[in-house]
Amino acid sequence: MKTNLFQYVPGNSVIHRMNPVTKILLTIVICVAAFLSGNLFYLAGLLVVDLLIGIIAGVAGKTWTIFKGLLKIAIFLFVLQILLVRNGTPVLWIITDEGLLTAARVVIRLVVVCMPLALVLAVTRVTDLTNSLVQVLHVPYQYAFTLSTAIRFVPQFLEEMAGIMEAQTARGVAFDKARGLKKFSMILPLCAPLLISSVRRTDQTAAAAEVRGFRLRTRTSGYKKYPFTAVDLGAVLFCALLLAGAILLK
Amino acid sequence: MIQAEHVSFSYSDQGPTVQDVSFHIEKGDFVAILGANGAGKTTTVRLIDGLIRPTQGKVLIHGADTATSPVSERARRVGFLFQNPDRQICKNTVREEILFGLKTVRGDESEEALNARCEEVLKDFGFSGDEEPFSLSRGQRQRVALASILAVEPEVLILDEPTTGLDYLECCHIMDRIRRMNREQQVTVVMVCHDMEVVLDYAQRALVMAGGKLLADGPVREIFRDAELMEKASILPPQMIGLSLRLGEGFEQADTPDAMAEAVLARRGEGGKRHEN
Repeated sequence: MKTNLFQYVPGNSVIHRMNPVTKILLTIVICVAAFLSGNLFYLAGLLVVDLLIGIIAGVAGKTWTIFKGLLKIAIFLFVLQILLVRNGTPVLWIITDEGLLTAARVVIRLVVVCMPLALVLAVTRVTDLTNSLVQVLHVPYQYAFTLSTAIRFVPQFLEEMAGIMEAQTARGVAFDKARGLKKFSMILPLCAPLLISSVRRTDQTAAAAEVRGFRLRTRTSGYKKYPFTAVDLGAVLFCALLLAGAILLK
Repeated sequence: MIQAEHVSFSYSDQGPTVQDVSFHIEKGDFVAILGANGAGKTTTVRLIDGLIRPTQGKVLIHGADTATSPVSERARRVGFLFQNPDRQICKNTVREEILFGLKTVRGDESEEALNARCEEVLKDFGFSGDEEPFSLSRGQRQRVALASILAVEPEVLILDEPTTGLDYLECCHIMDRIRRMNREQQVTVVMVCHDMEVVLDYAQRALVMAGGKLLADGPVREIFRDAELMEKASILPPQMIGLSLRLGEGFEQADTPDAMAEAVLARRGEGGKRHEN
């Protein structure tokens, strides 16, 4: 089986060893900082931070794959923005300087915000994410479980969709030849089997959770502890620096 | 008809899943691919249909390389029944489901001809046609998936664990139908199956795989009687064969309950004669 983009990559890097809550905090701070500042140099700096996090965590390959995937969407958005924004001085045809700046901000923000969200899942076990939310942030287990299940379901849905498309291709549906909008229109009728399998899976997961005493679980049920270490303190300080930078370089 | 020449395949982030596998399957063969979990069986059948492309070697169907033509174009000649029927079913009624497959690959035929073929298949499989596929049992859904594949009359049928999760009766329904197609219309069948009793009952030939490599290729009964091979491939042979091997001389051919009863009676007769003497 192929490993998917959201799958946890085992490791012992500084990022792996961080408290899951710190990783969530770092992710949120990067997102907030990206929207606080409109400075292109600062946004580019955040992009470098994202890439560095991936490299330090030892998931450079995955980081690059995520980056490449986002780049395709970013290019589409960039073109859309430069064609639609008419404010500012024209530079070429209907493209204005304001349009170029806005487009650059939008696409860099998109990449900067999405990358840590995907990376946090690559360097944190979903169970650790749930348990730390419950233990450290006192989030009710039901909510934390819902969040982690939703995250866990994303790759499963993708795998299911790939399986459905493969099965339909084997039946003669030309997914292997169609491109773009045509392919999209061919995918739409397949939403029925995907939806049905998803509902079945959700029911099965709910039943499995119930029989394993889902409602009996409390904040103290987990045996694993999530202490804050010097690495976490360093990460929090780095978060403060990022926010300060975003405010200063508005 | 199907020719695999030194085929290897590996997923990008793992070691080779299939290594240097070669075999030749003739028209009308009923071949089972056996092996433990992770042996490379499903990957091999996916390679045969071209759903994945070999990293080395090639698979030919009727002399055409499966890596160079789209899978969807092969659907007219090669049918693939997946383990999970829910991935194949996408229409609201059984009739629509069968017609969907027919129209996809036999769209050049008249509406009347396709409708007539659909009704023929519905009757053959015992469906009224108005049933909602997703409200049927697992076994019935598997039969719907099989019906929609067989409706297009493929020359090759690939089955990836077709009887998993089915009760004995449903399993027999499905396998009997496949055997009929194989015998009457010379449809070539390639099946991945973990149920050795099913393999013994239906397949003529077996390919044994372990760790992505092809260990053996031969008649099913001979394969199951090779204890060393079975151990190497982590396969438990069917009970009757296991029993006949334990009983030894005089029980070599006793691989069905009837044959076993005859062998026991024959041995008893010999014993009786010895007593009389």
